Amino acid sequence: MIERTLEPRQRELEERSRALFQSSVDGLDMATRSRLTRARYAALEAAGTSGRRAWLARIPIWTSAAGVTAAAVLGFALWFGTPAGHHGMMSADSQMNLEDLDIVASSDENSGDAMEMLQDEIEFYDWADKAASTEPAA
Amino acid sequence: MPRFATLNATWMVWDGPAPAPEGAVLEQTRELDKFLAEIERRAFRMAQIALRDPDDALDVVQDAMLKLARNYGSRPSAEWRPLFFRILQNGVRDLQRRRTVRKRFMTWLPGAKEDPDNEAQDPLDSVADASPSAPERLMQDQAMQKLEASLRELPARQREAFMLRNFEGFDVAETASAMGCSEGSVKTHYSRAVHTLREQLGEVW
Repeated sequence: MIERTLEPRQRELEERSRALFQSSVDGLDMATRSRLTRARYAALEAAGTSGRRAWLARIPIWTSAAGVTAAAVLGFALWFGTPAGHHGMMSADSQMNLEDLDIVASSDENSGDAMEMLQDEIEFYDWADKAASTEPAA
Repeated sequence: MPRFATLNATWMVWDGPAPAPEGAVLEQTRELDKFLAEIERRAFRMAQIALRDPDDALDVVQDAMLKLARNYGSRPSAEWRPLFFRILQNGVRDLQRRRTVRKRFMTWLPGAKEDPDNEAQDPLDSVADASPSAPERLMQDQAMQKLEASLRELPARQREAFMLRNFEGFDVAETASAMGCSEGSVKTHYSRAVHTLREQLGEVW
């Protein structure tokens, strides 16, 4: 009997206190709400900053590890040839370079020996130099 | 032509969308912001009831927010609520402990002034924007003041159990997790708190 009367009273106390508490939360003034919002932003910002700092603190480890790895990959690539995946670009480059080399190295069939052509040009430059030195200054 | 096509293809890979981890962090921050916005006012009121001082309550709430975001932000969001209130309750307890030590220290000093925490509280301070034209609201505020005064008279653990279970809606297991004790202790603390409050408020409510 006592328990039956206590239980509704307990429930009433719980419900009334909960309603009062929620009412006081809803009735918080704007200044307090604003301060809470600023506090939340500050907390999130500080947590983000500390996260970035923790990431920055690991940079020396990352850089040293990355440097060693890059050196190993480069050495491997130089030693064993072109790395996979770059064949398209490398073949295009090499093809271009070979074409340039062909143009430079190729000789015109009608121009005769390359050394002969070079000899003619030396004579021409020699004549031009003498002509310039004998010509009176304007 | 094939050369440019190859270069373009390579650059397309480099200029791809932002890496997934950054997006995940942003999403997590938004979720945490939403969670904190939902609970910050109730947390503030609970801290204010325990500490009486709004500035102290705000400090404790902000500290709890910061610790949750910094230390537990990467945990599943379902764990945030009990973790946050555990941090908050620890902060409240630490502050109360420091006040007690300070009060004892002040009594040893000759001619020391009374601790400002013991000063009589202005009843108007705890009235939340009550309008004189709203008598119902005024009655609610008076009832809330009586409830707060009774809650402050409770032992800290009983008050924590009552507020977490009744105000925050935690079940026994969640309350035990937030308070860092067993479920049996929660039941005992809560039962005693309800009994004491009923004795103190039963006649006036």
